[in-house]
This record gives sequence, structure tokens and C-alpha cells, in this order.
Amino acid sequence: MYPKEIEKYLLKVQKPGRYVGGELGEVIKDKQDVDVRFAFCFPDTYEIGMSHLGIKILYSLFNEKPYIWCERVFAPWIDMEEQMRAHDIPLYALESGDPLTDFDFIGFTLQYELSYTNILNMLSLGGIPVLSKDRHDLNHIVVAGGPCACNPEPITDFIDIFFLGDGEEVDLEVIELYRDYKRAGKSKEEFLRAAAQISGVYVPALYDVTYHDDGTIAAITPMDGAPATIEKRAIMDMDSCYYPDNFVLPNIEIVHDRAVMEIFRGCIRGCRFCQAGFLYRPVREKSVDCIDRECHALCRNTGYDEVSLSSLSSSDYSQVVPMLKRLNAWAKPEKVSLSLPSLRVDGFTDDILDEIKSVRKSGLTFAPEAGSQRLRDAINKNVFEDELINTCRVAFEGGYTTVKLYFMIGLPTETMDDVAAIAELGRKVVDTYYSVENRPKGKSPRVTVSASSFVPKPFTPFQWEPQDTMPMLREKQQHIRQSITTKKITYNYHDSDTSFLEAVFARGDRKLNKAMLLAHQRGMRFDSWGDCFSLQNWLDVFEACGIDPAFYANRRRSFDEILPWDHLDYGVSKEFLKRECERAYASQTSPNCREACMNCGAKKYGGGVCFEKR
Amino acid sequence: MKNVRVFFSKTGAGKYISHLDTNRVMLRAIGKSRLDIWHTEGFHQHAYITFALPLSLGFASDCESMDFRLLDDDVDLDEIPAKLNACLPLSIRVYRCAEAKHKAADIDSAAYDVRIEPMNASDISVKELYDKLNGFLDLSEIIVEKKTKKGKKQVDLKGYILDCSTDFSETVLLKLRLPAGATLNINPSLLIGAFEEYCGIELYADVTRIGIYTKEGESFE
Repeated sequence: MYPKEIEKYLLKVQKPGRYVGGELGEVIKDKQDVDVRFAFCFPDTYEIGMSHLGIKILYSLFNEKPYIWCERVFAPWIDMEEQMRAHDIPLYALESGDPLTDFDFIGFTLQYELSYTNILNMLSLGGIPVLSKDRHDLNHIVVAGGPCACNPEPITDFIDIFFLGDGEEVDLEVIELYRDYKRAGKSKEEFLRAAAQISGVYVPALYDVTYHDDGTIAAITPMDGAPATIEKRAIMDMDSCYYPDNFVLPNIEIVHDRAVMEIFRGCIRGCRFCQAGFLYRPVREKSVDCIDRECHALCRNTGYDEVSLSSLSSSDYSQVVPMLKRLNAWAKPEKVSLSLPSLRVDGFTDDILDEIKSVRKSGLTFAPEAGSQRLRDAINKNVFEDELINTCRVAFEGGYTTVKLYFMIGLPTETMDDVAAIAELGRKVVDTYYSVENRPKGKSPRVTVSASSFVPKPFTPFQWEPQDTMPMLREKQQHIRQSITTKKITYNYHDSDTSFLEAVFARGDRKLNKAMLLAHQRGMRFDSWGDCFSLQNWLDVFEACGIDPAFYANRRRSFDEILPWDHLDYGVSKEFLKRECERAYASQTSPNCREACMNCGAKKYGGGVCFEKR
Repeated sequence: MKNVRVFFSKTGAGKYISHLDTNRVMLRAIGKSRLDIWHTEGFHQHAYITFALPLSLGFASDCESMDFRLLDDDVDLDEIPAKLNACLPLSIRVYRCAEAKHKAADIDSAAYDVRIEPMNASDISVKELYDKLNGFLDLSEIIVEKKTKKGKKQVDLKGYILDCSTDFSETVLLKLRLPAGATLNINPSLLIGAFEEYCGIELYADVTRIGIYTKEGESFE
């Protein structure tokens, strides 16, 4: 229930449906009946946050507990923020309409670095002091999880607790500890010290970081009995892992407005640029039985006629065709269409095509990532040109005319020839279309080539690599444009300015907290939105703080440097990442987890693909 | 196959569900309710529903309707409201289901309750606002600019006000009936905008559509 006083202002803003809640499936409890109120905050707009699977899982999981009431909070768009600030309306949760100050926990999900300023802005809109040290009591505990928690150092001044890895268990353990400590009248400090003893919990205030004169880290020292390294949590049995059988159903259109069924966590591939491929190791699958049961219930309960079978690489699900056949046994008669996002070029078979094209036919998207075979080997993409061409032929013969190809520029070891090969590969796909005898009659192909700028990330073999400077990236973007000779290819490239800022924060250290605070004080937010982002504003902030952003983005680290995230353990060892980095320099591929074990370290979790029969 | 019409209200948070989003919410509710309705037969088959008269974003209504074709002739129409309500947000409530009596093209006018108050309470008292409204409605003409597909044109709203009355308590109440339908549709926002200009202060209007009528003056059913 939204606060009554906002009603007057709602018609002055775009998409007022973002701010009123009242959706089917929202959980309403009596606040007198619960011990812990948790505000689940997504630091972006409603349409983006409501599309995120993690919030759906944790929202339902928390609310299954009678003593917790979890509500949703999204970042108001700038027009709504203006109204809220002008009329002293604090940021509120959609279910109760209560301001953030009424909550025990204020939890953020860290999906991308450019959302960090929104976290600070949401706290301040909610009337919560942004700095952890200014929040003294055992309430308003600000917690955060999600992929960017793997290097949360740039925002350690603001967040009390980070959750590393899968949240389904650790979040509840911390909430329960809070309930006990609250009842016992303990202090915030006592609670944080006790929480730090729970596996997967990182309390940044309990670690002291010192630096060398050159700005690199000298030591990361735990205090008050906190563990020297914090290990991520991993759910090993996916079939018994909680999965919601219903979603909050948005009243306004959201980005991904469909049912989502998670089919496995992790990825066997080990593409060297891909952070998710390392953070979520090892691969843990759900069984076909479990997927069939959960997915059918989800479609029945939500009324969605489209379900996305979600994972990092759908065609790597070991039972992909049996699963699709099993699902289609009810999905077809019930007019529910199945979609497989994240299909690999080499996983696109006739069998899969038969099962997914039955209901809906959209364009196909593949991510060769690099134009030349040499560079694809260096990044361990393990996709061959003839596989891509064959796959496109299968798709064209099946009636598709639109193919999107995603590439990255600025990858380690890349040359201008590798960059030109992107355009060349696009041309070969166009040629393939015309070589297909039974191609769709009278239609011309649409091939979209998209180039984004590579951002080196923690816990990947490229974590030591410099990012290309912005002038270099722009030159490469133009080089692709000049290399494209056919009008059948549409060429897009992503703005390199935002990639630069992303690179700064992805591998940043605690010194960046100062810049984050100043950026917030200067009113910066929604950095991932072109309407709001200004690189110049950020460069001004860095200058005012005496920070050189190139130190973080464009500097090559040595293998023996202490990295800001070295006290966090995601299961993959630094030794393994070094070996993979050296193999990249030699343009040498590595086998995937099902072919051979490369001893990354994730076997220590005792399950998943590491123990499958090869 | 039976053509049926469900009648529903849209209030509270439902006011902020746009016409297109209402369509989406209804499609999902029908899917969830498992009502067997006719689907289009093209390449992208989808459940076929139509709405008689779109409602502006921000308006509440007591008299919305949606048509679809039931494939099973034996379904008890009286059970349909409960089935759909279980699958809809609380701000949309279906209260009746019947075979369609009129065609959408029969719609001729719609009645609205408009509750008007100043955006800033200190600007004007309710009584003063009420007096201003009556003065405004007594004007010999109310010229506004109406956007049409062919561009902007000047219209005199005065001639289009089919019925109106005023009252006040905590807010000023304007009861209005205006032309509605596919050929000529006058949105009450036009009149409210003109009144706001006449007052020279920012107003807030809470609009509820309370009735839809045919040329013969019958309630649209």
C-alpha cells in the first residue's frame, strides 16, 4: 500500500505503476506479527528489479518464515525522486508503504558496479545515514549480496555485511542471529562480530587494509576474531534447494515479463573473461523431474504463457533434449512457449531447434566474443568458425532470418587483425544465408554485430590485465565500422565511458569509498543510464579525491600483488587463475569441466560436475 | 462458442495500470484461471480479448468491461467473476459476467465523478474553489485545444457537456457526462485542464468513471 500523500504527485511522473505495489502475489503481513522486517532493495528501476530472479527467490524464501516480512524497494526514477524530495516523502517499501527507517534489514543486490551510487541515493532517500559508522543501533543493518560482492571494497564504508555466494542459507542464518541478538538487547558491534563467524559472511569493518606508497595493498588484517579468509556459500543439492512456485506479478510491463526456471548454477566452460563462469563454480544441476515439477507449478500459478529456462549456458544442461521433451508434454497443449537463453553456438542442434521453435520464433543470438580463432582460443571461448557457420545454416534452413552476434573488444592479446575479423565473421554469416538453398523466400538476412568493451573482473584469469584505454577502444570500434562492407550488417557498439568506470570499480579498493561518497553528495545516480551518466562528473570526483582512475582500470598488476579481494574465497584458487592466464598468453585453450578437471579448486565443495562420471 | 462480457472496477493502485498493461494483466489472469477462451489462429496464437472503451491512466472506474469468447458453452457465467478475481490484483475486481447486450460501437457517452482539490491546500479553500468551479461552468464558452490525429484544433467544451452538477465537502465534486466512444470522445482531463487555467492555481483531480451509456441512454451492458 503506497502512502496516501503520494497520490497527488503520481500523475506528474512517468509510469506511476512503478510506485504503488498492489500486485498479485505480493506478501502482506501484519507488522505486529513479525520479529524482523527486511527491505529488499534493488538499486535500479522497478522494471529492471522485478525482472531479476534472485529477488524473486529470496523474497519468497524469506516470507515463508512467519517471523520475517520481506518487502520490495526499487530506485525511484529521477522524476519521482524530485517529487519525493520536494514533498519530504521518504523512500518506502511497496508492500506496507512504510519508510526504510521502519526496517531491521536494508538489503541490496549488487548486480553491476554502476548501480552503486543508487544504493547511497536510496539510503539517503529513505532517511538512513549512508555511512555504516553513523548507524549506531542494532537496526537498519545494511546488507548486500550478489555477484559484485566478490569485490565489494569500493563500498565497504556503507555496507555492514556482505553475503558471499548463494544466499538461500546464509541470509536466513544472519537474520536468525539478528533476531536472537535483538531479543537479548545486544549491540550492533556484538551482532556484527558474531555474524562474521558465519560462513559466507563478510563484515568489512572487521578488516584493516594498509597500503604501500605506490597505492598497492600491503596487508589485509582481520580483527576481533574475524576469519582471515571468507569463503563463499554454495548450495550443493539443487533439487532440495528452495525455489518459489509463484512470483509477484507486475501490473506494468517489466523487462523480462515471463516465468523463469533456473535449470542449473555455474558453467562448465571457463571462458577466461567471464566472471560468472568462475564465481558460481562448480556446476550444479537440477534434475529433469525437479525442473518439470517446479516449472509446471510456476506456469500454472503465474499464468505466464512463456517460460525462460535460465542458466549461464542452457545447452550445457546434461539432459537438455529430454528436459525440453518432458516440458513440452504439457507446455504445448497449454500453449506455453519455452525459451532457452544463453545458447552456445555449438549447442544449437536440430533436436533443440525442434523443441523450441514449436511455439515462438524470434531472432537468434550468439556470442562468439572474438572475431578470430586465435583470440577465441586465448579467451577459451572454444567455439569454432565452422560451428558458427553450420549453426547459422541450421537456423536459416529452419526459417530464421535474424542473427545477432555479440563480440568484445579490448580483450587481452588482441590485435587490429583480430578486430577486423569481427566484421569478416559477420560477412561470412551473411554469405551463409545466401548459400542456403531453402532459405526463407524473398527475405534478406539481418545480421547484427554488437561490440562491447572488455572489463577485466576479479576471480578471472584476466584479473591482472589492464583495460584498453578509452582512445584505444574507440579506435577499435571505428576499425570494425570501417571493416564492414555490407549493408546487411547492423553494427552497434557500447559506450566505452561506462566500461571504463565499471573497470575502475570492478577491481577497486577501499580508497574508492571516498569517491563514492563525494559522487553521491554531488547528486550522481543511475550511472548505468545514458540519461544520467557523465564521465566528466566522475573524473571531477576522482580529481577532487586525489584518485587516479587509471590505477584501477588501465594498470597491469603483477601476479604477486595483493589484490583487494584476496581475503575472499570463491572456490577458484589464485594458482589456477595464473595458470589459465598463462595459457591465454600462449593462445592455448583449456578443456571444459566435463572433458577434464583443471583443478580450479571448486572440487572442495564436494559435489556438482566435479563428481560426475566422465 | 459464446461471446461474453465481464464488468470490472479499477480502483486504488489499479488507477496506475495503463490500458495496455490492463490488457496484459487480464491475459495473464485468464491464463492462470484456466478459462478456456478462443485464441487467435495466426502464427503467434494468443488469447483474444477486447475492451469497449479505454480508460485513461490515473482514472478509477466502476464500469469497465472486457469481451472474450468462451469455448465451452456449458460454463456457468456466474462463476466467472470469482474465478477471475482469484487471479487478479485486488485493485481490479470483476463483479459481473453476462452475454454481451450492446456493441462497443453503441457507446455514446460516459459519466464521471471528478473530485477536485488544490495541489497546495494553502492556495484556496474548498468553498472558494467550489464557487470558482460554478463560475467557470457558467462561462458562455470554454475553448480548449484538443489534439487529434490531424493536429491540434480549438473546440468549445461547453457544448459537449451533456450533464453536470457540483457539490463540495472535503473536496469539490463535479459530476459530469461527456461524449464517449470511437467517433467522438471528450476526455474530462480537457475540462479539468481548462478549469485549472481559469483558476490560475495547480489542482489535483481524482477522476472515477461511473457509467457508460448508449445513444438510447441505456447503461452499456
